[in-house]
Amino acid sequence: MKQMNTSRRQRSWDLRAAANFIGGGTGTGLLMASVVAAAFGPTTPVTMAAGAVFVMLGLSMVWLEIGKPWRALHVFFHPQTSWMTREGIIAGPLVAAVGAWVVLGLSAALPLVFVLAAGFLFCQARMLRASRGIPAWKQAEVVPFLIATGVAEGTGMMAVLGGSSPALVGFALAAGLAREAAWWAYGRGLARSHAPKASMDVLMKSAPAMACRAAQVAALVLWLATLSGVTDVALLAGLLAAVSGWGIKALLITRAAFTRGPAIAMCPVRGRGIGLPIEA
Amino acid sequence: MTRYIMVADLRRCVGCQTCTSSCKETNATPPGVQWRRVLDIEAGEYPLVRRVFVPTGCQHCDDPPCMEVCPSTATGQRKDGIVTIDYDLCIGCSYCALACPYEARYKVDDVEYVYGAAATATEVARRDQQKIGIVTKCTFCVDRIDAGTKAGKVPGVDPEATPACVNSCISGALRFGDIDNPDSAVSKLVAENKWFRMHEDEGTGPGFYYLWDKGAL
Amino acid sequence: MSGHTGAAKKSVPTYCYNCVSGPDLMRVTVEDGVATTVEPNHDAAGIHPADGRPCVKAYGLVQKTYNPHRVLTPMKRTNPNKGQNEDPGFVPISWDEAMDQIGAKLRDIRARGVLDDAGLPRVAATFGMGGTPASYMGTMPAFLAAWGAIDYSMGSGQGVKCTHSEHLYGELWHRAFTVSADTVNTRYIVSFGANVEISGGVCAVRRHADARIRGIKRVYVEPHLSVTGACSSEWVPIKPKTDPAFMLAMINTILHEAPRDALDIPFLRDRTASPYLVGPDGYYLRDVDGGKPLVWDEAGGRAVPHDTAGVVPALEGTFTVALAECHGPDGEVFRHEGVAGRTAFSVMADEMKDYTPEWAADICDVPAATMRRVALEYLENACVGETIEVNGRTLPFRPVAVTLGKTVNNGWGAYECCWARTVLAVLVGALEVPGGTLGTTVRINRPHDNRLKSVKPGPDGFMDTTFNPTDRGNWSERPTGRNAHRTLVPIVGNGPWSQALGPTHLAWMFMNEAPADWPKPTLPEIWFAYRTNPAISFWEIARLSETMAKMPFIVAFAYTMDETNHMADILLPEATDLESTQLIRIGGNKFVEQHWDHIGVALRQPVVEPLGESRDFTWIATELARQAGLLETYNQRINSGAALVPLKGEGYDFSLPTDRVNEIDAVWDAVCKAATAMLAGPAEAKGLDWFKDNGFFVVPHKRVDWYLYPTMVDQGLRFELPYQERLFKVGKELGRRLHEKGIHWWDNQLGEYCPIPEWHDVPGRWTQSIIDAGANPDDYPLWGITTKSMQYAAGNNIGIPLMDEVGRNMRGHGAVVINTSTARALGISDNDWVEVASPFGSTRGQAAVMQGCRPDTVVIPGQFSHWKTPFAKDLNYPTLNKLTPLSNATLALTDATGSGSDVVRVSLRRIEAPSAETLAVGGAA
Repeated sequence: MKQMNTSRRQRSWDLRAAANFIGGGTGTGLLMASVVAAAFGPTTPVTMAAGAVFVMLGLSMVWLEIGKPWRALHVFFHPQTSWMTREGIIAGPLVAAVGAWVVLGLSAALPLVFVLAAGFLFCQARMLRASRGIPAWKQAEVVPFLIATGVAEGTGMMAVLGGSSPALVGFALAAGLAREAAWWAYGRGLARSHAPKASMDVLMKSAPAMACRAAQVAALVLWLATLSGVTDVALLAGLLAAVSGWGIKALLITRAAFTRGPAIAMCPVRGRGIGLPIEA
Repeated sequence: MTRYIMVADLRRCVGCQTCTSSCKETNATPPGVQWRRVLDIEAGEYPLVRRVFVPTGCQHCDDPPCMEVCPSTATGQRKDGIVTIDYDLCIGCSYCALACPYEARYKVDDVEYVYGAAATATEVARRDQQKIGIVTKCTFCVDRIDAGTKAGKVPGVDPEATPACVNSCISGALRFGDIDNPDSAVSKLVAENKWFRMHEDEGTGPGFYYLWDKGAL
Repeated sequence: MSGHTGAAKKSVPTYCYNCVSGPDLMRVTVEDGVATTVEPNHDAAGIHPADGRPCVKAYGLVQKTYNPHRVLTPMKRTNPNKGQNEDPGFVPISWDEAMDQIGAKLRDIRARGVLDDAGLPRVAATFGMGGTPASYMGTMPAFLAAWGAIDYSMGSGQGVKCTHSEHLYGELWHRAFTVSADTVNTRYIVSFGANVEISGGVCAVRRHADARIRGIKRVYVEPHLSVTGACSSEWVPIKPKTDPAFMLAMINTILHEAPRDALDIPFLRDRTASPYLVGPDGYYLRDVDGGKPLVWDEAGGRAVPHDTAGVVPALEGTFTVALAECHGPDGEVFRHEGVAGRTAFSVMADEMKDYTPEWAADICDVPAATMRRVALEYLENACVGETIEVNGRTLPFRPVAVTLGKTVNNGWGAYECCWARTVLAVLVGALEVPGGTLGTTVRINRPHDNRLKSVKPGPDGFMDTTFNPTDRGNWSERPTGRNAHRTLVPIVGNGPWSQALGPTHLAWMFMNEAPADWPKPTLPEIWFAYRTNPAISFWEIARLSETMAKMPFIVAFAYTMDETNHMADILLPEATDLESTQLIRIGGNKFVEQHWDHIGVALRQPVVEPLGESRDFTWIATELARQAGLLETYNQRINSGAALVPLKGEGYDFSLPTDRVNEIDAVWDAVCKAATAMLAGPAEAKGLDWFKDNGFFVVPHKRVDWYLYPTMVDQGLRFELPYQERLFKVGKELGRRLHEKGIHWWDNQLGEYCPIPEWHDVPGRWTQSIIDAGANPDDYPLWGITTKSMQYAAGNNIGIPLMDEVGRNMRGHGAVVINTSTARALGISDNDWVEVASPFGSTRGQAAVMQGCRPDTVVIPGQFSHWKTPFAKDLNYPTLNKLTPLSNATLALTDATGSGSDVVRVSLRRIEAPSAETLAVGGAA
């Protein structure tokens, strides 16, 4: 027999936590895009600085959410297994590396920025995956999706803040397509894992989700239009690519974050009654 | 070795919430925080319906996902299997709450009293037990276990060394003890009855055994 | 059993008796003078059936004590106008002023006489559920006894909210004020809504849990899947109020499909009236010499008195009796010659012939095969012929029982259910024997503390039972209480509990609108209310509140403000559960499933100092007695046992001086000593100080005393079953008396006095009530019923947040339970707001959509919709009590015992969620 639904929306993390994934994803994506851009020629420090600001804004939102903000340094205590600690540990050097390039002009810092930003983004993605209480987060495919959307948002934001180039647009289009592929894989993964229906509904059917998805597809079309020279709408494409990612992540962290819910494997035998198995 | 576990006999439990209430008083948890609670779960379709009362809370897993994610090392695990939280280390990030597949963890951000505006005399007396801004959960009444064992008592046998919920359970559904001791009541119950553990597929090795029928597995 | 004391932390033993299924033993941890936690009293492990563990309600007592909304000083009303929308204008006063005001009234009444011109008591009192307030009111019973006539007939739900018909018929048939299975021995229970896992207390929960592990089969027959249904082996959803048909079908199956030798023939023949010969006019054929009922002596081929030595009477058949007489109503004697006498058993079998499972299937909406299977399983499990030894006595072992719950064993259909249940027991000899159906305590018969001792030989080989007289000349033509229990309900008797067991809703109804040719009762001049809230807990509560508001002087012992004491003139704050002293009985056989192997007494003591100006009830009672000029009588009553036990007995005398005010501790020290001396001999007498350390005192209680059967055998008595000649006759007499007065509005009820119950369209009565109210039954297509939760059942604890918090863990708490398919059809989703309405009122709440409920039934658990009680008034929970009528419409829904059922036809619709403003003023529900 089938058990009633016991899944419920998590109440531990709100938009402040989502902001970390938004800022961290976009910021690191922007940093990586900036590093790549810098590798190909002179570039403005604005995007690099903005990337760091995004990351720091995200982290400060988390700082506002934790119950004991003055104990924030305790976050560094558990690098052995905690992806949150690892993310925190990377944040400092990342900002320092950005500062080294932006302020001191140390070009040697660029690869470091790239590696640290990628590491930060990876930590974020693994952080969600380690959240075993939320099926929509612990799904393995959440990692490539978070990385892909981070890069897609970052390249989008790069186009907004730093102007576009055919290379960037091509890169952004590729990132957007990667995000599409990751999203598709993620959705399939959720279905395969029997993720809570409510999570699926919010992510796949809700109006905000549909709007975000539409924006992502629109961004792809606009990138393509720009790349093919039909019209230069890179600014709009970048904005859509970034904001749509933020929307999806906001949904993923808050409204779509349902618990697995308590479940029993068997109905107990009461006296001389019959025990019945529960369908998984 | 000692490995403390909880046994919940689903054949016995009636969902009375006596354990829930006892836990709340013993641990002075604020409104809405229930380290021990009993779920009321329905299965099937009318008229073939089952209703099952499921005591739950921290499962004190062998491999606790909460401990893995905790950035501050506040969440720890004792040699006897009890998963602990160091309230002086916890930063209240709630990451552990999201990592727990059993929804066992709570965080209260603001002081709240049962009757609203003012604290009752009991709440004043137990103000030092308020845990605001940090994550809390069932401790298996670790302080009772430690004080009890120190006094030569046996957890699961002597009330002084046994979790409050188990002491309070009116149907005898909740039992506690050392599964590594083959002579303990819980060892025998686990050996002589059919049981499951919740979300076994998570690989967490929960220390909460739900009995559902007689006979060995 | 030592008090675990420390410098600043101590553990104090005491008890909780907030519901009738207690008392539960417990300890309270006190830190620096503040109560912090309730814990089990582990000293009672192995003594108390649940090892000294109290139920969930006990854990609310800490919050109860420190509730900031408590009334902590006496108060008086300054607004003479009373009503829900009137501000009482309570102002604090001193105890002296409060007592002086009450004392002046009491003295004035004593000067004029305790009865008014209508012959009704000028003083009335209402106490909450099942007599449990008596365990908190100290020596108040001594004051009440010293006062004399008091009207207890204005109940808070008694009769319509209790297992009423079971109380009355149970005591008649087997000294069973409440009935339970012998759970520790039984193998098979058919439970018709006996929700013991909710309302049976910790003893029932533990006994049934053990029984489940042992391998009992319990079939649970109820419209919704309650907690007890959930914990049963099988749930059979039945249409509300059709339980009699199911049970009659079980009897039919056993009588007409099973072989006769599957029944317990010796039990039927020797321990019941089955062989009594019934004459053509429905009365027993009797011996013309002694008037004793006749049986057919098969060996001698003749009719002989039932108690003829050595006779082996025929169980079945029709026999021609040469000469016999029948005793009709009003002493009429009919003499018969050559008359055909049919055994009562055969008469029953004839009557049951048509009640086949196929007949019942449509009525109950239960497959015939299910009913037949249950009947045959019951029979198979009865172990007819087996015996068991208990305390050295060999007794029949019959491990089957049928148990009945509220709404099944009260109101129309309950007579049939109670009869059928008891007949199902006697058919297999399972009444009052190990494994079978047991009574637990007595309240109509005496002594209350030992039902075995209440058994005395009576007429016709049955136990003696005192009915209210119905003969011309002795019938109580003029009511002595406002519910007319002596006038209308012969079976309820006239003991201390009888008034409150009479039709208590009639008192409220009649004070508002009396039927034709019936004097409207006067209002009591003083009404005392304690641990009761009829303004919420009865029916059509708005109308009842209007009646209450007319009362001239209400004294309420007030814990917090509530809907009833909102109408009061004086509020008196009593030191509550953890603040005052009392000794009560524990163990032995008590209500519900309190079957112990020990018997004794337990102390309630001030765990903490009383808050504010609240005072121990014993002080209050003493002061009331002093004010009323009754101090000496009051003290005499304490000495004679009104505070629990007589203070003087063989070898001991702890009597108190009667000419003075005795201190609280002096009173209870004497009671403690007398109780222990009575239990264990004078040498074992323990005083108050001993109890303060130890909490309780017990001596062994023999398990054989759980059963009435040995007493019946020892006294050569028969259970008065299956034929109800006496009730039949009493009904005839009552009808004559009423008709002689021109009263015909009780005629429906007179129809219940039949010797063998017959099925009538029981649920149809509720449908008819809709038509009578001028409405169309099609507009009210669903059945509305209620149920309890352990967190609240009889707990008087609605204002305690902990109970609500943990109660919310249970689905349906504070909601309207609706079947999934019904909800879908009406466009209702879980947690949607809905309105449930009857022609008599409506209530609003949130839907709890569940599979475990019949599609034609909605369930509204608990009794909520408070508008005054702090905390509770903000819950916005629905209540069935707004939908059930308390007007002349109710008369048609009242059975002959004066009881009604929590059932009503309802409509259901989804509504918009009430606005925050509406919710804020508690106006949604």
